[in-house]
Amino acid sequence: MLLIPCPHCGPRPEIEFRYAGEAHVARAADPGAVNDQDWAEYLYFRSNPKGIHFERWRHVSGCARFFNCVRDTVSDKILTTYPAGEKKPDLGTLMKEAGR
Amino acid sequence: MRFSVFNLARQALSAHRNWPEQWRSPEPKNAYDAIIIGAGGHGLGTAYYLAKEHGMRNIAVLEKGWLGGGNTGRNTTIIRSNYLWEESQGLYEHAVKLWENLSQELNYNVMYSARGVMMLAHTIHDIQVFKRHVHANRLQGIDNEWLTPEQAKEFCPILNIAPNMRYPILGAALQRRGGVARHDAVAWGYARAASAMGVDIIQNCEVTGIRRDANGAVSGVETTRGLIGTKKIGVVAAGHTSVVMGMADVRMPLESYPLQALVSEPIKPIMPCVVMSNTIHAYMSQSDKGELVIGAGTDAYTSYSQTGGLHITTHTLDAICELFPNVRRLRMLRNWGGIVDVTPDRSPIIGKTPVKGLYVNCGWGTGGFKATPGSANVFAHTIAKDEPHPINAAFTLDRFRTGRLIDEAAAAAVAH
Amino acid sequence: MSDSMAMRRSVFDGMTPIRVEGKVTAASLPFAARFVFRGDAKAAAACSKAFGVTLPKTILQAASEDGRSALSLGPDEWLLIARDGEEAGIVAKIEKALAKIPHALVDVCHRNTAFTVTGAQAEALLASGCPLDLHETAFPVGMATRTLFAKADVILWRTGTNAFRVELWRSFVPFVWGILAEASRDF
Repeated sequence: MLLIPCPHCGPRPEIEFRYAGEAHVARAADPGAVNDQDWAEYLYFRSNPKGIHFERWRHVSGCARFFNCVRDTVSDKILTTYPAGEKKPDLGTLMKEAGR
Repeated sequence: MRFSVFNLARQALSAHRNWPEQWRSPEPKNAYDAIIIGAGGHGLGTAYYLAKEHGMRNIAVLEKGWLGGGNTGRNTTIIRSNYLWEESQGLYEHAVKLWENLSQELNYNVMYSARGVMMLAHTIHDIQVFKRHVHANRLQGIDNEWLTPEQAKEFCPILNIAPNMRYPILGAALQRRGGVARHDAVAWGYARAASAMGVDIIQNCEVTGIRRDANGAVSGVETTRGLIGTKKIGVVAAGHTSVVMGMADVRMPLESYPLQALVSEPIKPIMPCVVMSNTIHAYMSQSDKGELVIGAGTDAYTSYSQTGGLHITTHTLDAICELFPNVRRLRMLRNWGGIVDVTPDRSPIIGKTPVKGLYVNCGWGTGGFKATPGSANVFAHTIAKDEPHPINAAFTLDRFRTGRLIDEAAAAAVAH
Repeated sequence: MSDSMAMRRSVFDGMTPIRVEGKVTAASLPFAARFVFRGDAKAAAACSKAFGVTLPKTILQAASEDGRSALSLGPDEWLLIARDGEEAGIVAKIEKALAKIPHALVDVCHRNTAFTVTGAQAEALLASGCPLDLHETAFPVGMATRTLFAKADVILWRTGTNAFRVELWRSFVPFVWGILAEASRDF
């Protein structure tokens, strides 16, 4: 079970959370102006990386907030979490901080 | 060398020390007419049918690990074709028909056993959904029948149909022609037959890049064992599909999740069929070794760790203990995980890609094993003819743009 | 003849008592007035004045004053608890004070109920279903949080070194109490 550091509540067991998919997948401000391929990209196509992944979680059995998370999908180690709405952290800085 | 009573007797005379290797382990050539990336059941099967039905023998299957070591070696071996939509029924039924004769065709015992697959209904919604599947299947000539709880228990005597269960069983849909097969045997059977026809199976060979010519068409692969030229690549890499397709700059509508399974200590036969419960999240069958083979849904987050969390296993076993109370004191012997590539509509992608010469077969999620021979067969056709077979024509990558999704979330059984 | 539709029953009636002498006891609490309040810092300040308890600014903290409590469960979510019967008065005062401030005030008196778990083994009994570290260094007196007990969402509040209050939805009580009762047999 993962121990996930919720930005509000601190580290909590995985079962208190619900996974919410890849982070920073922006919805078009005007969906009507988007072509079919781009709309499909938004709905369905995902990076699915073998390595560092920017994703969202929701602390449903805790503070109930969404937040963002950076996790290595090979080791499942979480590098950091940050509140919803914040910008993607710089990966270079993160890796340095994580001692990689 | 064929497996036969005659050869068995002959080899016995030398104490079985002279059986030849079941497949060759050649060095990769400089180039092939086609390369299959991924030596799982689907990949090895594709190579087999390319050689057998399309006369393409100058081909290779590249595998970064050992053949059959991915999801093929980790699944819970269930076979069925009781899906909802006609497109899916065509595909899975094609597989079932090939399964029925596979041991004979490959001269390798894949231990196929049509012992029946029973899907349990615990709510009004379940009843409606499964009856709809029963009707849809019968309209296409696929066997599927509705059972009362008492009939379900008659078919599987250890099933708990008590009305005081948290979610009592209200009925079940049974496909008698569904069943199981020995997962490793499928990979080995296809590998042996393909190798005998001249297909090179190259293990410990990881593809690190896809080369394309000035027109963007495929020209070869870069691997840990050197550069190999080819004009046709079939990617059959399951959970690693996004990684491999990324080498050709093709983004995929896939997410790779851990899927766990576990087996109990071996016991005498008590489980005559396969039982699956979508609602309370578990399914079970019994292997010929006597182990109860148990599985459930994926872990919640994407991962390439092949691990997953123990809480998933706990919940699965809660459900198993509820459904089959007399297995509550069994010890679980082994648990493991794989990486399943899941599509938004829970249906696979089998066909061409925006890159000329690059073909993909993926997105089987938690339900790839059952389709192994059918999938391999139509994918071989797609690669050989540069056109999909009618059976896989609907399973395009492009359907996500057009919206022609094939929603099999209910039939895929385990909720994601 | 009394109108049985209007009779308010305690969901704890008829439940197995949980009482291990000298070790741990679980006991139901009387009916209470309860509200979920949501709003930003400005709304919280106004609500504090109207409710009579300062809504904690630090998350996962409980504050009490004069029979009323406010539990901070999220960055902008509080559970307000008062005496049974005070609902109407509380709503009137808070709505008046926040007439011009965006907020949400939801009456959950009939959705929630609560019980206490007290005794030297209170932590251990709750650990039978709660995955958190309940040791006082990790879960001090005054901490309150939404969490899980087995499959049920609960709000766990440590009111003393050997005392917890469990707030939960009425319909979850048989499930949670049942697991606690069974676990208490180990003590």
